[in-house]
Amino acid sequence: MNARPSRFYLLLFLAAVPLPLARSAAVVEGHIALSRQPTAPVMSKRYEIVTKGGILSTNPPIAVVYLEGTFPRPATLPVLQMAQKDLLFQPMLLPVRAGSTVEFPNLDDTYHNIFSYSPAKRFDLGRYRQDERPIPTIVFDQPGLVVLRCDIHEHMRGLILVLDTPYFVQTAPDGRYRLEGLPAGNFVLKVWLDSKTTLERPVELRDGETLHADFP
Amino acid sequence: MISPFEPKKTGFTGFRTKLLVAMMLVVSGATALALFVAQRSVAENVRRDFEREFQNELTTLLSTQQVRRAALVERCRALARKPRIHAALEDNAIELLYPSARDELLDLMQGDDSDPMGQNPYAFHAVFYRFLDVSGTVISPPDSRDVGSLSPAEEAQLASPENLQAPQIGYLLRKAADRSGSITEVMTVPIISSETGQTIAALVIGFDPIDPFGRHAGTPIKTGIWVGSQLYLTELAPTARAAIVRQLRERLPGLLSLETSFPVSIDGAPWLLFYRLINPGSTFPPAYEICIYPLSETAARQQRLFWQFAGAGVLLLTGAFAASRFLSIRLSVPVEKLAVDSETNRAQREWAEIALELTNEELLRSARFSANASHQLKTPVTVLRAGLEELLAGEKILPEVREEIATLVHQTFRLTSIIEDLLLLSRMDAGRLQLELEPLNLTQLIESWLDDLGTLPDELHLKIETDLPPALYIKGEKRYTSLILQNLLENARKYNRVGGLIRVAVRAEGPRAILTVGNTAVPIPPESQPHIFERFHRGSAGENVPGHGLGLNLAKELARLHQGDLRLNRSDSMWTEFEAIFCVSSSPPPRPTA
Repeated sequence: MNARPSRFYLLLFLAAVPLPLARSAAVVEGHIALSRQPTAPVMSKRYEIVTKGGILSTNPPIAVVYLEGTFPRPATLPVLQMAQKDLLFQPMLLPVRAGSTVEFPNLDDTYHNIFSYSPAKRFDLGRYRQDERPIPTIVFDQPGLVVLRCDIHEHMRGLILVLDTPYFVQTAPDGRYRLEGLPAGNFVLKVWLDSKTTLERPVELRDGETLHADFP
Repeated sequence: MISPFEPKKTGFTGFRTKLLVAMMLVVSGATALALFVAQRSVAENVRRDFEREFQNELTTLLSTQQVRRAALVERCRALARKPRIHAALEDNAIELLYPSARDELLDLMQGDDSDPMGQNPYAFHAVFYRFLDVSGTVISPPDSRDVGSLSPAEEAQLASPENLQAPQIGYLLRKAADRSGSITEVMTVPIISSETGQTIAALVIGFDPIDPFGRHAGTPIKTGIWVGSQLYLTELAPTARAAIVRQLRERLPGLLSLETSFPVSIDGAPWLLFYRLINPGSTFPPAYEICIYPLSETAARQQRLFWQFAGAGVLLLTGAFAASRFLSIRLSVPVEKLAVDSETNRAQREWAEIALELTNEELLRSARFSANASHQLKTPVTVLRAGLEELLAGEKILPEVREEIATLVHQTFRLTSIIEDLLLLSRMDAGRLQLELEPLNLTQLIESWLDDLGTLPDELHLKIETDLPPALYIKGEKRYTSLILQNLLENARKYNRVGGLIRVAVRAEGPRAILTVGNTAVPIPPESQPHIFERFHRGSAGENVPGHGLGLNLAKELARLHQGDLRLNRSDSMWTEFEAIFCVSSSPPPRPTA
């Protein structure tokens, strides 16, 4: 994977918005006020899941903005990846559309055992090494937050946010976001901030218009 | 003379016996003291060794137990950190708690596969496990077969909110179907959420208690657990266990300290019991580690030691007795010899003293006789002379008679002279003559006496030569010094031949003043020379020579009283010479003597 976050998120963004960008589609953009975690200066900037009072969030904080609604499921969905590298999940937070398949490649030299007891998806990949093929995959078909753990490395946490919508985006580190190619209509715009906090507001989208929505 | 002395044999035997007894007493005392001290010290060492051994084994045992418990706690803590268990508790999957734990505790519950026979006493073997929720209540397992069965009462013993505070160790009393009691060592560890930092549950695991020395021969220590007034010490027979339980219960009120030890008696044999509280501050009933150690071996060792020392003492005393006997005989030999000699000496001394006393008495008697005789004689002589002189004064006496009477009067003077000499001698013999020595001009004295001599009728036509220093002072009393001079000069005159020579010389030789009186007398026969100073010895002097044989004796005695002497220098046909020795007076006279 690319180590540089900006390009990485650009790729993610492109992957998350697979539809051809239509001029006529609606756009939502804005700014999410992300909580500033008091973090010590980090030498190599990493994203990791932090827990505070039982709340899981990323550090630095990243929010997921998505448009809730009922959308037809496509026949095939792209296969996504959530790797284990340097005893961390990369990415830490992966929003996926329900029904997506996620690969869990082990990029470390040690065993990992990815499992989840989250009600949205319970699975246990068992132990596997870097070179094992096929790469273990899991299909996330129920929406919800899936907390990934490693049975061997108790500190490892990964979050997969399974969404029932194709319209979602992660904010930039400064909290800005832009959702493009949205259908017109009345929807609920939601912002996932952490495992316990999801903000929402109703939005009315019109073709060719850009809606500005800041949270909070 | 001396009667041969026979030493008293019984006395020597007594001395030898006393010596032997004294030596034996000293040796026995020293041996007893040394053995006592040595025995005490060795016994103390044995006791200390035992204590050290006991302490070592106890320390080993206790540290083994501690390490084992620490390992158990660590194992439980590791279990409490297991991600699946946390996931089940944190990710709202409580139904997965026991199934997840079942996988994690599989090896503990089934025992170590590498030790199928249970040979390793340190292997952990869990018999049950449960989770407590945040309120301390047991979370019911879906299937009790996997988690080890517990009766509801037993489960109730596990439930305690305090078990969520800190790890606890306790013992669960369990009654088997056959009513035989058993205990299970229970560890509880709180499960702390890595997300909230709060205790979200607790894990309770029951283990088979292990006996670290139970299956190891080589140590006499037996260990058990005392909990809830019950003793779990499987190695002991039920009666012995009951005895310990009874003695433990007697001390129950005192069973409060964390650890101590006290002696107990099991079937009459002494044991040392040590106990230590295993779980201070635990929510479970206090459980004590009980270790018992047999003292019988130590007691036997002490006893053996005592007899060894006693035997050594007997041997030593026997040897000491033999040595003492030998030494006492050897030592008493010179003492016996000394005693014999001493007895002989004493007898000899006694005899000598008796002889001396006899001699003294004889001397005294003779002195007394001389004194008495001279005194008794003096009076009649005076009376006799007075009578004769009266006769002489008479006018009707014929000239022939007068001459006779005159001769008789002269004889009375001789008699008086003898008596006076005898008196003087007796006083000297009795030691009653004390001279008052003072500086005396010897030259002057001699000259005056020579003058007197010159006045005597000189029938012999003697020639007198003198060689006198101008003045020589000696220590003397004039009266008695004069007597010496008189004797010597008169002897020189009266024994001289006609026309003979008298030579008087005085010279000083250091502290001595030597007076020599020589004359040309008839020589004294050599056989008589040694006896001339004896009393009443007159030598070969003819009867016509006046004298009574006391003069030289008297003169010598007087010279000795002058701290000097009188001796015969030579006597041959040519010359007879006497020498009188006086002490020169160092101090000049206070005034010149006339």
